[in-house]
Amino acid sequence: MERLIPNFDINKNKFIVLESSSNHFLLDLKDKKGSVIVGLQAGLDFDLILINYENVDEIHFDVNENSHVNVASLMHFDKKELKISANIDQNSEFKAYFADFITGDTKCNVVINLNGENSICRWHLASLSEKNQHKEFDVNIYHNALNTYSRMDNYGVVRDDAKLVFSGIGQIFNGMKGSKAHQNAKIMVFDKNSTGIAKPILKIDENDVEASHAAVVGKINDEHIFYLTSRGLSEDEAKRIITFGYLKPIIKGFEEQELKDQITDLIEGKM
Amino acid sequence: MSKLIIKNLHAEVDGKEILKGIDLVINEGETVAVLGPNGHGKSTLLNVIMGHPKYKVTEGTILFDDEDLLKMTTDERAKKGLFLGMQNPSEIPGVINSDFLRAAVNARSETPVSTYKFYKQLNNATAELKMPFDLATRSLNEGFSGGEKKRNEILQLLLLNPKIAMLDEIDSGLDVDAIQVVADSINKLKAKGMGFMVISHYARLFDLIQPTRAVVVVNGKVVIDGDPKYIKRIDQTGYEFIKTELGIEIQKDEPDMNTVSIGSCAVKEAIK
Repeated sequence: MERLIPNFDINKNKFIVLESSSNHFLLDLKDKKGSVIVGLQAGLDFDLILINYENVDEIHFDVNENSHVNVASLMHFDKKELKISANIDQNSEFKAYFADFITGDTKCNVVINLNGENSICRWHLASLSEKNQHKEFDVNIYHNALNTYSRMDNYGVVRDDAKLVFSGIGQIFNGMKGSKAHQNAKIMVFDKNSTGIAKPILKIDENDVEASHAAVVGKINDEHIFYLTSRGLSEDEAKRIITFGYLKPIIKGFEEQELKDQITDLIEGKM
Repeated sequence: MSKLIIKNLHAEVDGKEILKGIDLVINEGETVAVLGPNGHGKSTLLNVIMGHPKYKVTEGTILFDDEDLLKMTTDERAKKGLFLGMQNPSEIPGVINSDFLRAAVNARSETPVSTYKFYKQLNNATAELKMPFDLATRSLNEGFSGGEKKRNEILQLLLLNPKIAMLDEIDSGLDVDAIQVVADSINKLKAKGMGFMVISHYARLFDLIQPTRAVVVVNGKVVIDGDPKYIKRIDQTGYEFIKTELGIEIQKDEPDMNTVSIGSCAVKEAIK
């Protein structure tokens, strides 16, 4: 796998600027500590895969105007606290796909600012909390400009005495007409001693907007198992593919086949 | 020739008895219309045959090809050749329709079907049902319209090719053209010898598929088992004759206490 990004420069403030017209990067943050700012040149259209950032506490993206950025990351390490933030300029789109297989307790705080008109954020998280883990994801998307769009999908599976909390906030400020904020949280709770909490919050201070939120927390639906087994799948197989259905869609955000396989193996290995 | 033999079947849900002694024989190759007022056990019967966990069988037997069906798990019943087209097919997020179909096809064959062969079958089946192929690549039933869900049930029927197919209100949610498409598929399968048990409240579907028998379920029992002419009669005059001619009182479902309170907003709306 290519582990270098062409034409980027890291100075002492850990400020990274991408200036290439190539459209596929692997951002390897090995040896980086503290906070990292990724500044993206205007007019870029590319995929970015984040790896090796277990020692980084904060990653910030500056997405300049007229850019389309797809950030994907497999989080498979130990990480107590992490902050992810992004500022999105006008006519830009920021898509984020985070597959959380962090091995210990974790608190992850996400702040996305839609600062420019017509800016878009699509956030997708798939999280597995197991074996007494306590995981909290706090995802905040702020609509600071006209005609901004956000879509937040947080999917999780919690089992073996673990806890998983999704707090989502979509906030549209006064005057930010034409904005749309949608969010969706789903947590599948496998056993009695596990806890899943979803808090999908909308804060709307403008009339001319569109907003929706949905949350589902619960055990595997018996009707779903009946439906699948009535077609000949065994009960175990049915449970397996239903669980996959919560975590596997994250894969669509990953371009790299190696990472797709790695995530699939992780999900299959754990189920 | 496959045979489903139901004897003195009693089943309950949440302690309430719904089936109160069903006796019925279904042969492969027959098309049986299952009729009856709402809440008298039609859907329950089909679900019990398929092994829905919500229903508890308290008495009686079901034999399928001389084997005790009630001892089998739902997937074993499916693999033996039973199929249930659901009234309300579940929406299962993240499970891709075609992946699931392939897993289901593979579940009942010794050797896995080749990708090429499977997609050819899928392509033919979606074309036959005039379904957009992209439905096959979406999440199982998620965001499907009522009609799309029902077509998707028939798509599964075509691919799984059971011996006896049970269809629970497969025509609800379908427009006239779609009912024709579904009926055409059923007729093709009928001609190949597949057996059907079909629940519907509308004579239109029965007109198109021409059942060979009509079965009427009232008070959790089969009260009529015979000529398909009853379909027309019931469509035109309802179930009143069951009382006047057969002397069977049709029990009304006693309404349960409403356990859900209407929120205060709605109450205020109503007062205005």
